[in-house]
Amino acid sequence: MSALVRSGQRLEIDWTRCDGHGLCAALLPGAIGRDDWGYPVVDETAVGQQSSAAVKRAVACCPALALRLARD
Amino acid sequence: MSTNTLMRPMDSTIPVGWIEVEPRLFGRPSTEPLPSFSRDRLLGLLDAVSLTGRGGAGFPMAAKIRALRADAEPIVVINGAEGEPVSAKDHALLGRFPQLVFDGAQVLAEAVGARRVLVAIADSKLIEPLQFALRPGFELHRVPLRFVSGEARALVSALNGAAALPPGRRVLPVHHGVNGRPTLVCNTETLAQLAVLARTGASHFASVGTVAEPGTTLVTVTGSVARPGVYEIPLGLRLGALADWVGAGPSQAVITGGYHGTWLPTSDFPLSRQGVSAAGGTFGAGVLIFVGQQTCALAELTRVAHWLAGESAKQCGPCRFGLPALAGDVTDLLHGAPAAIERHLAQVDRRGACAHPDGAVRFIRSGLGILDSELFAHRHGGCGRPDLGQLVTSRAGRQWAA
Repeated sequence: MSALVRSGQRLEIDWTRCDGHGLCAALLPGAIGRDDWGYPVVDETAVGQQSSAAVKRAVACCPALALRLARD
Repeated sequence: MSTNTLMRPMDSTIPVGWIEVEPRLFGRPSTEPLPSFSRDRLLGLLDAVSLTGRGGAGFPMAAKIRALRADAEPIVVINGAEGEPVSAKDHALLGRFPQLVFDGAQVLAEAVGARRVLVAIADSKLIEPLQFALRPGFELHRVPLRFVSGEARALVSALNGAAALPPGRRVLPVHHGVNGRPTLVCNTETLAQLAVLARTGASHFASVGTVAEPGTTLVTVTGSVARPGVYEIPLGLRLGALADWVGAGPSQAVITGGYHGTWLPTSDFPLSRQGVSAAGGTFGAGVLIFVGQQTCALAELTRVAHWLAGESAKQCGPCRFGLPALAGDVTDLLHGAPAAIERHLAQVDRRGACAHPDGAVRFIRSGLGILDSELFAHRHGGCGRPDLGQLVTSRAGRQWAA
């Protein structure tokens, strides 16, 4: 279990901001895919298996500020 | 005690009636002074009858009040925006009996210590009847008329002077609502029910309905029925009893919950949140549409799918691009061509800031799910029936001019 899951955090997409640039999918291959229109498809289990540093990097790199870590 | 009545007074063209119940919401307004309640006494009453919100989600009213942020004076909002094109219950209530709705809002505002009550409407025809009924502390506000503007957070956004769109962040109006204050956004009918409860008490309120869901509810009934309209019914009334009363012809399906709702085969399920849910449907805001045998149900569904795509606020990608794709898919099925619709349904469901994409997926998926023979016919040249327009997709095309 990663530090991310232990800390009760979840990757959340603000759909009103996301423009489907695809950086998150490029940075977290296997955990984030893309739909027919280029928007991210999050596999929550796979995201939980990533290092929290990798997930935080993806959040920081989103050009639309659409990706964030939220507490449940 | 069984009364079946349909009235069509001069002041509104939405027919209203009641079935197997003495009318509470469509009765003569009380002239008795309005009782006053402390927060705790009101919560006790609401708990006693499990009053739930009548705007669609069915959230318990008492829980909503308990969730209010306590460190600032709250604001009460009467949600009369009713974005669903088929629903007419809130319009009928506000157009005919605004005093009952305002009674409920006043009781609620006094109990939670709110001095401002905002009446939010979308239809300009309500301005005139409402502006003369306003009470001290009440303000009338008009918001844009579209499906998503009735969503509580979109409504708060509009009342704050921003676009009438749901925000991308999960903000609760009970924490940060109008002007950043804790805000109770309540459906119009919910407040009318609260007024009935406050004036007549819990045991009278619960003298009809089911044990789990006491009281009455409003349903908007349209489609292939002889007497469309808004009806007050006891919760738990059988669909068959309602169908008999409204004069529903032989039906291919009944749609519960409107255009974010569910296509169901017409069986005799009870009309309550639990009853409709057990039948596989969604009660929503109480819209019931009978789809008759004479119309092409797939063409009706396709028309609504295009309408739903047009109602997208276009701020979330999967909804903006996914709903037109789905509308294209059902158009292909209508013409007997194959479509990758399952893939698109999965890519739209629960992928937006509000429930519009989820509701559209539910509507399309459930419709295709019960129209097997219709889909088969369309793969082999068509069903031969015309689109009779039983599923209304323009506010001007309703069976009544609201």
